[in-house]
Amino acid sequence: MGKPKAKVDKKKCLACGGCISVCPHDAISWIGNKAFVDDEKCISCAICIRICPVGAISGDGGF
Amino acid sequence: MKYDVVVVGSGPAGSVTARFAAENGAKVLMIERRQEIGTPVLCGEGVSRKIDDWDMLEGDRWIAGRMDGARIYSPDQTCVTLSADQAGNETGYVVYRDIFDRELARRAVKAGVTIMMNAQATGLLKEKGKIKGITVNHFDEELEVKADIVVGADGVESKIGYWGGIDTTLKPKDLETCAQYTLTGIDCKDAYCDFYLGRKIAPGGYIWVFPKGKDSANVGIGILASLSEAGMARKLLDDFIKKDLRFKNAEPVRFLAGAVPVAMPIETVRDNLILVGDAARHVDPITGGGLTHCLEAGKIAGEVIGKAVKTKNFSQDFLMEYETRWKETVGRKIKRNYMVKEILLGMEDKTFNMLADSLKEYNFEELSTLGLIKALVTKHPTLLMKLKPLLKVSKEERKDK
Ligand SMILES: Cc1cc2nc3c(=O)[nH]c(=O)nc-3n(C[C@H](O)[C@H](O)[C@H](O)COP(=O)(O)OP(=O)(O)OC[C@H]3O[C@@H](n4cnc5c(N)ncnc54)[C@H](O)[C@@H]3O)c2cc1C
Ligand code: SF4
Ligand code: SF4
Repeated sequence: MGKPKAKVDKKKCLACGGCISVCPHDAISWIGNKAFVDDEKCISCAICIRICPVGAISGDGGF
Repeated sequence: MKYDVVVVGSGPAGSVTARFAAENGAKVLMIERRQEIGTPVLCGEGVSRKIDDWDMLEGDRWIAGRMDGARIYSPDQTCVTLSADQAGNETGYVVYRDIFDRELARRAVKAGVTIMMNAQATGLLKEKGKIKGITVNHFDEELEVKADIVVGADGVESKIGYWGGIDTTLKPKDLETCAQYTLTGIDCKDAYCDFYLGRKIAPGGYIWVFPKGKDSANVGIGILASLSEAGMARKLLDDFIKKDLRFKNAEPVRFLAGAVPVAMPIETVRDNLILVGDAARHVDPITGGGLTHCLEAGKIAGEVIGKAVKTKNFSQDFLMEYETRWKETVGRKIKRNYMVKEILLGMEDKTFNMLADSLKEYNFEELSTLGLIKALVTKHPTLLMKLKPLLKVSKEERKDK
């Protein structure tokens, strides 16, 4: 398990692709035309959380 | 399925590359993960009128309005005006990006391009380390598409470059994170595009108001991702709209989130692989405009791909002609404006106020960022020191002309 991972709220995500472009670990991809975080790859750096223009990403459990 | 070329992404970069590759004899497939080309629109929709000379778009259904000039407001509301009359040259259009993109796709189809919708590239096909095509998820079915050249025109969120061994990950300081409303029920007094600067208004970016006809406008914000917090772009935009009396009776007909790369030029070719458009970070780092670059670089990419298919040479060395050509044109401007961006980011609000004050009566020769930079250097020779690395680049540019 380890650290909490970033999590996208599918209802809030407007599919701008910003989080995918900055994730340093290639952990985010499109699934059903919304951003989706692969827990296995996420290193909990929180970059994506800060850059989302609509605040659709949170630290699952907080980080 | 076997094609000469598979283009991933059907935005302007993809459609133009596909069209020119097909016109130069290649058998081309273009795939798109969405269900409609051009929507949802993720764009401010401003574009320079120089596209008129390029034979890219027919008719005028893609034009929402013509621009008469631009006004730039410093943090203390000092206004610098660049008018088309004054500069005696062309400004631009505000377009309907959905129609714009579909027009470009129509031209691609006319040239013989095949299109597959609801088709998301999921990886590169490789044999003994060599790229042989892509894997595609098409309506939840996994397919293999073989091709001699894979074009990554997959936008800011590009993965094709990364899969092909090019580091395309953006640093937060090289990304603008954006939000935009299209508002209606406003009184657009004229056809000027307005820009608002300031650390409190839009840290590391700006707010724009682009009129679309008489009573509608795109009102958007871009902030530097390294200065952003969760949801900040939307919040600052809402604050701005609430305070501006022009928008008192306005209602939104569209809301979008966006992301714009504002980075230095990167590598864009490998054996059997080419990147173009936002995927290649082909965006002006000052304005965040990418459309003209997509068209310019896409045309070059298509022409070089045509040659590669004719000679059956798909090596990085052969495809490098594309990179050399775009770096000499689009790339020079991106490099120069990246340096200007860095300088602007270091400036405080009061410096912007001072600069705006000194330019408020200025007669601009050229209605462009270059025109603005030239004016700044003329007015403030001391700025020359800071702009030195930049001027080296523009000198190279002049030599080439
Ligand atoms: C808010 C905002 C305002 C802007 N304002 C302006 C402006 O006023 N003027 C201007 O010139 N530029 C502006 N830009 C920049 C401009 O929108 C881009 O430069 C332009 O859209 C880039 O075109 P493209 O073809 O490279 O990428 P895109 O238009 O992003 O197209 C990429 C396509 O690839 C598809 N795709 C992605 N991944 C896959 C995959 N794995 N498989 C299949 N398909 C895939 C996407 O669905 C998309 O359709 C703005 C950008 C934003 C976000
Ligand atoms: S940055 Fe936010 S809105 Fe944009 S794709 Fe990622 S989660 Fe969605
Ligand atoms: S927290 Fe960091 S590693 Fe995890 S998805 Fe976000 S950007 Fe990627």
